[in-house]
Amino acid sequence: MEMISKVANGFIGLFQAGGETFMGWVTGIIPMVICLMVFVNSIIGIIGTERVERFCQKITKYTILRYTLLPVLADIFLTNPARYTFGRFVKEEHKAAFYDASVSFCHPITGLFPHANAGELFVYTGIATGIQKLGLSVGGLAVRYFIVGVIVILIRGILCEKIFAALSK
Amino acid sequence: MYKTITVKAGSNGWGGPLILTPTEICNKVLSVTGGGIHPLAQKIADMTGAEAVDGFKTNLPDEEVLVAVVDCGGTARCGVYPKKGIYTINIEPVGKAGPLAKYITPEIYVSAVTEKDVYESDYTGAAAGEPASKTEAEISRPKQTLKENTAKVSEEKKENIITKIGKAVGHFVNIFFQAGRDTIEIVLGTILPFMAFTATLLGIISASGLGNVIAKTISPICSTLPGMVVIAFICGIPILSPVLGPGAVIAQVVGTLLGAEFALGHIPPQYALPALFAIDAQVGCDFVPVGLSLGEADPETIEYGVPAVLFERMITGPLAVLIAFAFSIGMY
Repeated sequence: MEMISKVANGFIGLFQAGGETFMGWVTGIIPMVICLMVFVNSIIGIIGTERVERFCQKITKYTILRYTLLPVLADIFLTNPARYTFGRFVKEEHKAAFYDASVSFCHPITGLFPHANAGELFVYTGIATGIQKLGLSVGGLAVRYFIVGVIVILIRGILCEKIFAALSK
Repeated sequence: MYKTITVKAGSNGWGGPLILTPTEICNKVLSVTGGGIHPLAQKIADMTGAEAVDGFKTNLPDEEVLVAVVDCGGTARCGVYPKKGIYTINIEPVGKAGPLAKYITPEIYVSAVTEKDVYESDYTGAAAGEPASKTEAEISRPKQTLKENTAKVSEEKKENIITKIGKAVGHFVNIFFQAGRDTIEIVLGTILPFMAFTATLLGIISASGLGNVIAKTISPICSTLPGMVVIAFICGIPILSPVLGPGAVIAQVVGTLLGAEFALGHIPPQYALPALFAIDAQVGCDFVPVGLSLGEADPETIEYGVPAVLFERMITGPLAVLIAFAFSIGMY
């Protein structure tokens, strides 16, 4: 009998630990994310995606902007996965590179703009929560994640463009 | 004499496109927009050859209504007409919402529509077809009538200034309300379920002692720069990366597990930034063909684009870790 109750306790214990983690996330992460997402979604509603589209069409001819500002705007305003539709603004030989830049930014953006890829928050949030538990601030991490993200997508875009050109010859 | 038109969703809109053709019986455009005939309803009537009717003044039998134009913030009207099986155009950016949400389907409902979103038939995707503003009727209309119309419109404007302010405020509030609704939907539909699943997994791992095993094997690898470069390289191998990619589930679970290790002090915090890139070298590698076709790429572009992205990741995956490591200097 004692044996059975021990096993039962151990079994329940597995899920008590899970429940505590879950509760921590719900109260610690969700309220801020909700308010931030409502705000950003409203701003996007007021600006309107049409205006962003018009602006983005103009900047595709500059290599640096094509793999930095364009994917960042596409991610912020159209979010995942509609952002890839901005690929139609770039030339055929740049499409793969634009896709790569855009998709590679879909996690670095979540530190500052969780609405842009709300379904995949935990790449960043998972690690950031751990850092927070140490009593450290995560603001710097989010900003640096964003900046390094921009640098990385620029490199990926340019390199992908070169490889694509070599392959399609 | 009746013409077919296509109405698509506007910016931030939902549903549609609707293809509307009036018939001898069904030929009224019902405008239910706080009194008066909305310009959009008038435009649709002009283009199709149907008649615009003010829904606040006239009551019509349902079978005569070709389409209802409403300005509903997501409480009732937007669902009333779909429930009756009547095509509904909402000028507010409202999706499937309100107590009658279950009747609102993309086949019968379209929202955030402006006059620019109405096209003459032959709708073929993005923005094919001539925008409504260029219809022949408008161009050939005598100048005098135009002037009369303008006079009429400006008169109405003066009368309805309070209504206008009210509508503008309402529109603004609706945008915020819809933003809230979208947010809660994604929290309930995606974020909470993911949290539930990862929390359960994490609970089992930590309470069963499996966590200690992970701490002893993975943590040492993740607390050195070469270890992380190797992880990024492995994630970026072209055969593995498409398998590791879908939904970023693996990256998210690994991120959460590593987060727990950071919290316990098994990995020093200055490795947080490189770790974010190390576990994510495969991001989107599963999605290349879909993402490219969303960008309207040719089949040939997709054929060469997939290997271009996959091979390039083997190089940029580890490189991203190194850049991130350099940028971590001075943090924590």
